[in-house]
Amino acid sequence: MSRLSEYLQTDWQAMTTNDWIGTILTVVIFLLMVGAYFYVFRPKNREKLEAMKHIPFEEDKEHNGDSHGRK
Amino acid sequence: MEASLERKYSFDVVRWFTIMAVVYLVVGAAVGVYIAAELAWPALNFDNPYISFGRLRPVHTNAVIFAFGGCTLMATAFYTVQRTCGVRLWSDKMAWFTFWGWNAVIALAVITLPLGFTQSKEYAELEWPIDILIAVVWLSFTINFIMTIAIRKSSHIYVSNWFFLGMMVMIVYLHVVNSLAIPVGLFKSYSIFSGVQDAMIQWWWGHNAVGFYLTAGFLGIMYYFVPKQAGRPIYSYRLSVIHFWALMFGYVWLGAHHLQYTALPDWTGSLGAAVSIAMIIPSWGGAVNGMMTLSGAWDRLRTDYVLRFLIIALAFYAMSTFEGPVMSLKTVNALSHYTDWTIGHVHSGALGWVAGISIGAIYHLMTRLYHTEMYSVRLINFHFWTATIGTVIYIVAMWVSGIMQGLMWRAYDEYGTLAYTFVESVDAMHPYYAMRTVGGAIFLFGAIVMLFNILMTVRKSVSEGSLKQARAVPAPA
Repeated sequence: MSRLSEYLQTDWQAMTTNDWIGTILTVVIFLLMVGAYFYVFRPKNREKLEAMKHIPFEEDKEHNGDSHGRK
Repeated sequence: MEASLERKYSFDVVRWFTIMAVVYLVVGAAVGVYIAAELAWPALNFDNPYISFGRLRPVHTNAVIFAFGGCTLMATAFYTVQRTCGVRLWSDKMAWFTFWGWNAVIALAVITLPLGFTQSKEYAELEWPIDILIAVVWLSFTINFIMTIAIRKSSHIYVSNWFFLGMMVMIVYLHVVNSLAIPVGLFKSYSIFSGVQDAMIQWWWGHNAVGFYLTAGFLGIMYYFVPKQAGRPIYSYRLSVIHFWALMFGYVWLGAHHLQYTALPDWTGSLGAAVSIAMIIPSWGGAVNGMMTLSGAWDRLRTDYVLRFLIIALAFYAMSTFEGPVMSLKTVNALSHYTDWTIGHVHSGALGWVAGISIGAIYHLMTRLYHTEMYSVRLINFHFWTATIGTVIYIVAMWVSGIMQGLMWRAYDEYGTLAYTFVESVDAMHPYYAMRTVGGAIFLFGAIVMLFNILMTVRKSVSEGSLKQARAVPAPA
């Protein structure tokens, strides 16, 4: 198996229904991952996403009025 | 402020899970030290089957993973979901069912495993009636968590809850499929899978127990407790989102790397190794995200011993998520597999990462749940050093022992015959097995000190009446 084409060779006729379901699911999930990367790193979404990091401190802020969210 | 939350939230069940977690840490580590001593000095078996290594080893793994780890996860998940969603647990009764059910599972494990009742599946040894109980209790934990999120007041679900939720959903799926068996009696069953399929299902479960239970769940702890203890928000929320999805996507592929050079098709092992290497990126992204939360406030590490536990745990997380993928590569695996190197790797993750992040979170929780300062900060500092030194001694012993073992097993002379007998390799391990016992004993001593400190803090809270006073404070709107 020295040539890359041999390594990547696939016997499409031998693919079962299970093989196709697995392959399609894998590709779909991979594309969703790519979509997630795009969404998260899109500059437009930066502020919206980074604002969520303060959630654990919101309750402290409400009760203590500490702008740093410290206990 | 925490006092006013006492009536708003359901903290009683969190307190019980927290205390039991520390009790199980001591029990699990004690059994671990004993069986480590048995390997160094086999006479400690006393020819008694109930305390032989084969029967006590699953007691140790079940106690530390499911008893200590499980109680820690349940305490922290129930605490953080309330604090980040701004609502009380969906059902207090269901939370108590989870507590008593989970402890019943642990009690049944402690009774049945030394008696020799086992399915012989690693990290899933318990027989079928207990497996059904585990599924029911875990579902009660999951449903309560999901429903609490469903009734939340906050608009967004904080990332720690995503990690907990990912763990819960995947563990239901993994536990049910891996435990499918045909019972032939109350205490005996046979897996519905056989041969190489059984091996593949076993390691699909085995590695994902590591990936989703011991990694994703404890990352949920990290994403809440590191920012809270540091008093600063997580370094990058966007990185935490990518960390989550990459982990969920990647981990399920890795199981096959446990079965290199077996009857499993060659490509599955290669795929497992390839995805393992790819997983270094999100894992290190997560570790850096946690550590960089301290950016600009590194001096806190000088004085805050709880933060030290959390940050050193992240260092161990980074180390073991690099070591694991390297060990999954076929060339490295040829040397490392079946040797003590694997034990060293597992314990750098278990003692350094899982126990470290849990201990930090538990110390953080104690002051907030009992509305008082810890009984002794000096003892926390002492615990930090015993845990770190004990862990390092343990893993160094196993690394040296494992690599030596692998080299001895495959050494051959000019005639092509093996250079060493198996017994010679066992004999060569003795000093390292003794060293491992010492490392484990130091770690155990630290855990006992922690239990003492925790119990004295509870006593202090009772004598000061701080919990009672907190319960009298009206709940905020």
